[in-house]
Amino acid sequence: MSSTLMYFLGFSMTYILMAWSIYLPYRVKHLHFLAVATMAVTSYMGGILSVNFGWSFLPTLLLSIVIGALISYLISHTIGNAPTFTVVIVGITFVFIIKTAIENTDYLGGTIGLFGIPVLDHPLIILFAFLLVIGYFLYRIDHSRIGRAASVIFTDENLAKSMGIKPKQIGMLFQTISGGIAGSAGVFYAFFVGSLFPDFFTFHLIGTLMTILFIGGYTTMWGVIPAALILRGVPMILPSSIASWRLLIYGVLLVAIIATKPKGLITKKMLWELLKKRSGS
Amino acid sequence: MRKYVAKFILIMLLIFAFGSMTFAQDEVAVDTWEIHFLNSVTGPIASIGEYMSWSANYAAAKINEEGGIRGKPVEIVIHDTGVQPDKGIEEMSKIVDDVLVVMGPVPEAVIMAAVPLAVRNGLFCMTSSTSYEYTVEYFPWTLSWYPPTEEKLPPVTELWAEENPEMEKVVQFVEKWAAWPGMAGAHTIGLNNKNVKVIDVEVPKDAVEFSSLVVKALAEDPDGFVLTCNPDKAGKIIKELVNRGWEEKDNILVFSSADDTALYTTGGDALNGISIYNYIDPDSENERWLNFKQEYKEDHDGKNPGSLATNYYDSVYMIKEAIEEGKLTGDPAKLAEERIKIRDYCRNVENFKGIQITWSMNEGLPTSKPIFLFEIIDGEKQLIGKSR
Repeated sequence: MSSTLMYFLGFSMTYILMAWSIYLPYRVKHLHFLAVATMAVTSYMGGILSVNFGWSFLPTLLLSIVIGALISYLISHTIGNAPTFTVVIVGITFVFIIKTAIENTDYLGGTIGLFGIPVLDHPLIILFAFLLVIGYFLYRIDHSRIGRAASVIFTDENLAKSMGIKPKQIGMLFQTISGGIAGSAGVFYAFFVGSLFPDFFTFHLIGTLMTILFIGGYTTMWGVIPAALILRGVPMILPSSIASWRLLIYGVLLVAIIATKPKGLITKKMLWELLKKRSGS
Repeated sequence: MRKYVAKFILIMLLIFAFGSMTFAQDEVAVDTWEIHFLNSVTGPIASIGEYMSWSANYAAAKINEEGGIRGKPVEIVIHDTGVQPDKGIEEMSKIVDDVLVVMGPVPEAVIMAAVPLAVRNGLFCMTSSTSYEYTVEYFPWTLSWYPPTEEKLPPVTELWAEENPEMEKVVQFVEKWAAWPGMAGAHTIGLNNKNVKVIDVEVPKDAVEFSSLVVKALAEDPDGFVLTCNPDKAGKIIKELVNRGWEEKDNILVFSSADDTALYTTGGDALNGISIYNYIDPDSENERWLNFKQEYKEDHDGKNPGSLATNYYDSVYMIKEAIEEGKLTGDPAKLAEERIKIRDYCRNVENFKGIQITWSMNEGLPTSKPIFLFEIIDGEKQLIGKSR
């Protein structure tokens, strides 16, 4: 396999994981950017554990899921049913706190970065298998009572409350799961790339994930898959001189999609109609 | 008789066939020599990236005027990494399977992110804008254009301290970006060697206004200042110092990475009399340098070449020499072997005639390269001294 294809697939799968970690809390209208801060924490934790303490990938991955979920769980006590705007502000604040802390900590490589993390031998196979597991898990959540309850919260929180649904508990649950997924994405990123930089975990990453979610479609977990592949793939296929315009391309795409298809390219309704057509034929 | 003639013809044919085979083996297999350059032409060091790209393209143009490399033209292919390590990896992944050699990446964070990928694939990276400590981990697949920072920089700050013996305490403005904190540390070593105390004041990366920083620095009652921050910020800080009545201009030292157009456009007249160090001597009489300087100025509104302006010019010529000396063909079937030939040549080149100085490399380390200390007078640098 060519290096271009390998990195394209590896980055795309990591972005799908991260986009899912944003997608799930958005089921209850929480734009949970704390996931990016969690990813930064677990990626650096994974890097330090492997470089300085010789930890292998699997225990690091498991620990990262626990740590990621724990961080989000603790913070979700405060923002479990907060308005979207508050959740966004808390997330962005944490991203900048974590980034600043990393930049000023020599042990973590400071502004230069953390290097020498052992790269996985078969990263794509492991990533793909993990993606299938997480995908199945999310699918089950989406099609469970909790998933349906989340849809009601998204439509009208007061209506949901009148039906006996507890938005805070569901919000906390989704944020905690999101933290676990983001935690795993951090370790995958560290062991795939082999080096970490504080500048990666910034507004740029938040913007990319948001673009993937809103272009792909936030009403279903499937939307982020083609969106991540297209948005990661386009700059890799384009000549370098044009690839530099990626943020502009993302911005134009986002505006165009929001203007024409506010729910994104792939919607729940579209999937229902597809399924109905298939069962009809 | 006929038998001898037939034998003679047969032998001649064999000799000709063998000769043709040997010639064919060394024949250039490419129409154009593409040299890929992972540079940062957007982002916080875009102005430095621009002049490094300019110098690489200038070298390619000169080589093509002189007949190319082994009769084929050379083309520089710029890949912009925007100082983003992950973009550096992405750009490296596009070329790592196919190209003969790569110039860059630039700067240090991108080197450390993208070079491991090149190392895993046996691709030599001409990391010609950085120091030993950022490339040694990847030897022999990289080289160090300069000696280790803690060896090369202390002598120049010692020289500056000797020029200004009244200094006992200086404030150093440090921006924590890339390799700059390491360079600041090396400045401190040199000054401490001359019994000058150094107090660091951090310059925030997102700072746009510097009065509070300058007040904080002046409150230390220093005898001088070292600026280890980006050129625009250095210019603004110097202006602020001057506005607040600082008069001993030669007690202000600007580090090499800030020797860029932005420093001169921002600092303006406030720069008159300050000290600055860098790696190129603008007064060199080398004809190639004089032409370079003239054309650079024509393309850059009369500004002089920046501190790292010649690095990738020399790199392109070093690659040219490696291809010519090794009789490389660019044949994809010989890619691995020819990559190693370029690597070994560049890491151990002897008496390489650079645009300014002649130097040798020993296992990827330069044997000697001077640093020049200047005073800025009316926007022009006047040499004070040099350190080795």
